[in-house]
Amino acid sequence: MSKNKKRMIKDGILQGITYLSSTVSLITLLAIVLFVFGRGYKLLNFDLIVENFESQGYVADLFDDFIFCDCPATIDLSDDFYYSEKWGIALSDGTDLLGKNIIEIEYIHPDSPFKMVQDKGIGEEPIILRTDYDIIRIAFEDYPTALSRYGAKNMIDSLNANNSIREIEFRTKGGGVRGSILTTIYLIGMTLMIALPIGVGAAIYLNEYAPINRITKLMRSLIETLTGVPSIIYGLMGLAIFVPLTVNLTSATGGNLISGALTLAVILMPVIIRTTEESLKVVPDEYRQASLAVGANKTQTTFKVVLPSALPGILTATLLAIGRIIGESAALVFAIGTSIKDDVSLTGKSTTLAVHIWAMMTDEPANIELSATIAIIIIFIVVILNIIIKIISSRYLKQKMGASS
Amino acid sequence: MNCSIEKNIIVENLNLYYGTKQALFNIDMEIPRNKVTALIGPSGCGKSTFLRSINRMNDLIPKCRIDGSITYCGENIYGQGMDVIDLRRKVGMVFQKPNPFPMSIFENVAYGLRCQGVKDKIELQKTVKKALVDAALYDEVKDRLKENALSLSGGQQQRLCIARAIALSPDVILMDEPTSALDPIATAKIEDLINELKKDYTIIIVTHNMQQALRISDFTAFFLMGELMEFDETSKIFSHPKHQKTEDYITGRFG
Repeated sequence: MSKNKKRMIKDGILQGITYLSSTVSLITLLAIVLFVFGRGYKLLNFDLIVENFESQGYVADLFDDFIFCDCPATIDLSDDFYYSEKWGIALSDGTDLLGKNIIEIEYIHPDSPFKMVQDKGIGEEPIILRTDYDIIRIAFEDYPTALSRYGAKNMIDSLNANNSIREIEFRTKGGGVRGSILTTIYLIGMTLMIALPIGVGAAIYLNEYAPINRITKLMRSLIETLTGVPSIIYGLMGLAIFVPLTVNLTSATGGNLISGALTLAVILMPVIIRTTEESLKVVPDEYRQASLAVGANKTQTTFKVVLPSALPGILTATLLAIGRIIGESAALVFAIGTSIKDDVSLTGKSTTLAVHIWAMMTDEPANIELSATIAIIIIFIVVILNIIIKIISSRYLKQKMGASS
Repeated sequence: MNCSIEKNIIVENLNLYYGTKQALFNIDMEIPRNKVTALIGPSGCGKSTFLRSINRMNDLIPKCRIDGSITYCGENIYGQGMDVIDLRRKVGMVFQKPNPFPMSIFENVAYGLRCQGVKDKIELQKTVKKALVDAALYDEVKDRLKENALSLSGGQQQRLCIARAIALSPDVILMDEPTSALDPIATAKIEDLINELKKDYTIIIVTHNMQQALRISDFTAFFLMGELMEFDETSKIFSHPKHQKTEDYITGRFG
C-alpha cells in the first residue's frame, strides 16, 4: 500500500515536471510572439513592403501665377489635422518608418496652390504634390523657416502668416524594406543554386558510393561538426576568403551578394548533406536490388530510383535551408555588410531582412518598432515554410505506409 | 552465348564465404533448361545465397567471396570479361517481398528497357503489354497503367515484379520465396503463372513450402548447412529420398 503510494507520488512529480516544462515553453513562445506583434503591428502595412528604404527628396517652389485657395476642405478632416483655408492644405504630425518625427501631407484641396509645384532642380518640371509625401521644411522671405521638428501646427501658422513662400522641401516616405526582401530572394536563389547540387551530390556519394572506411567516417564526423559551428565563424571565413575572391574576379568593391551567397552555401552544405543522406538512407534497399536485378547499372539505379524516392526528403532539406538563409544575420554582416540598399545588384552591398533588423537596431536611436515589424514579416515567411514542410512530409509518410502494406 | 545446350547452368565446386564464415560448400549442380528447379532446406542453409550467386547479386554484399565456377551458356559468370549487367538481363530475379518501384505500373515494367536505352514509345508499349499479359496481370491493370504501382495489392505487386523481370526477355528467372509474403489465393495465382512461364524460361525458385515445391517444380535441390545434400527429379526426392536427412526434412521432422 505504502509502496504504491510512493510510486504514485513519484509518477505525479515526474508528470508535473513535464507539464511545467511544456507550460514554460508555451509561455516563452507566446511572449515572443506578443512582443513582436505588440511592438511591430503599428508599422505593418503594404507600403513598408513595397517602399524603398532611401527616400527621394525634392526642393520646389510655387508657380509665379498662383492664386490663394481660400476654400474650406471638401472632406471631413480628423481633429489631429491642421488645415489652412488660405492655402488649401492639411498637415499632421507623424513618425516615419524609421521612427523620426515628420509632417505628413494629409489633404490637398484641388484648387490649392500646392497642388502642383515647380521643381527647383535642373528640369524645373512641375511636380504634383501627393498625400504620401512628407514635408521637411517650408522657407519664407523674411520669416523663420518652418521645420518639420517644430510640428504641423507651427507650419500651418507660418503659412497663414505669409503670402508667399521661398521654397518647400519634401520627400517620399522611404524606410521600406523592398530592397531587403529582394536581397533575401536573390540570396535564397543563389545560395541554393550553389549549395544544393554540391550538398546532394556529396550525400549521394557518401550514402551510395563511398566505401565504409576511416576516411569516410572521418568525413562524416567532420560534416557533423560543421553543422554545429557558429555562423559568425563562417562569416569571418567569408570575409577572409570570398570577399577578396569576388572583389578580384568581379566589379565588386567590398562585401557583395555573391560573397554572401558563397558564405551561406558553405553554412548550408553540411545541413543539406546530412538531411539528404538521412532521406537516402530510408530508401528501401529492395529498390536498389530490384533495379540492379533488371540490369540497371549503379548510376541508373541511383539517379532513376533512389534519388526520386528520396526527393521529399531533399525538398525538406531545401526548405530548411531557405529558413536558415532567411534567418541568418551574423555571417552576412561580415560577408556582405550592413548598408541597406534599394538597388540590389549581385556585386553590390545590400541587406537581407534579418540584417535589416540588425542595421535598424545598431542605428542611433535603435528602432525597435520597425525591427519588430520586419520580425513579423520574417516569422510569417518561416511559418508558411513550416506548413509546406509539414504537408510534404505527411504526404511522404502516406506514400511510405502505402508501400509497406 | 550458346544457350542451346540442355543444361544451361552448370555449377562446379562452388564455395562462398561471407568474410571468414563459409556459407556454401563444394556445390556441384547442373540445372536443366526450361524446367522449374526448387531449392529447399531449413533457414540459413544457403539456398538463397546460392540463388543470388547465379546472377551475382551477392556482389552487393561487402566481404563476400566466391571460388569455383558457375557456367551459364558455356561461360563462367565469375570469369574475367563477364558483363554483370548483361548477365542480370539474361538472369532475372523476383524477390521475397514484392518490391515495385514507387512509380507508375507502366514505368515499373518499362524501367529495365529504358535502362537498356530503349526509347521507341511503340516498342516500349508493346513490350510492357506483352510482359503484363505473360505475367497474367494485364487484365487487372490495363485501365490504370499510369497509377502508382504501390496502389496494387501484394499479389498484384509480385506479379508486376515478375512482369518487370520478363519484360527484358531473360532466359532464367530466379525467384526467392516469391509467395512467402502473400495469401493463399495470390499464391495460387503465382504458382499457375510459374507453370505457364516454364515453357519459355528456366525457373529456379527458393521455397520454404514443401507442398509448393511438390506442386510446381520438376527438380528439387535439398540444401543443408551450406551443402547440397540431394538433387534429383522432384518426384524422386519426395517419394524415394536417398538421404535420411532429406526424408526427415520433407516429412517435417526438422526445419
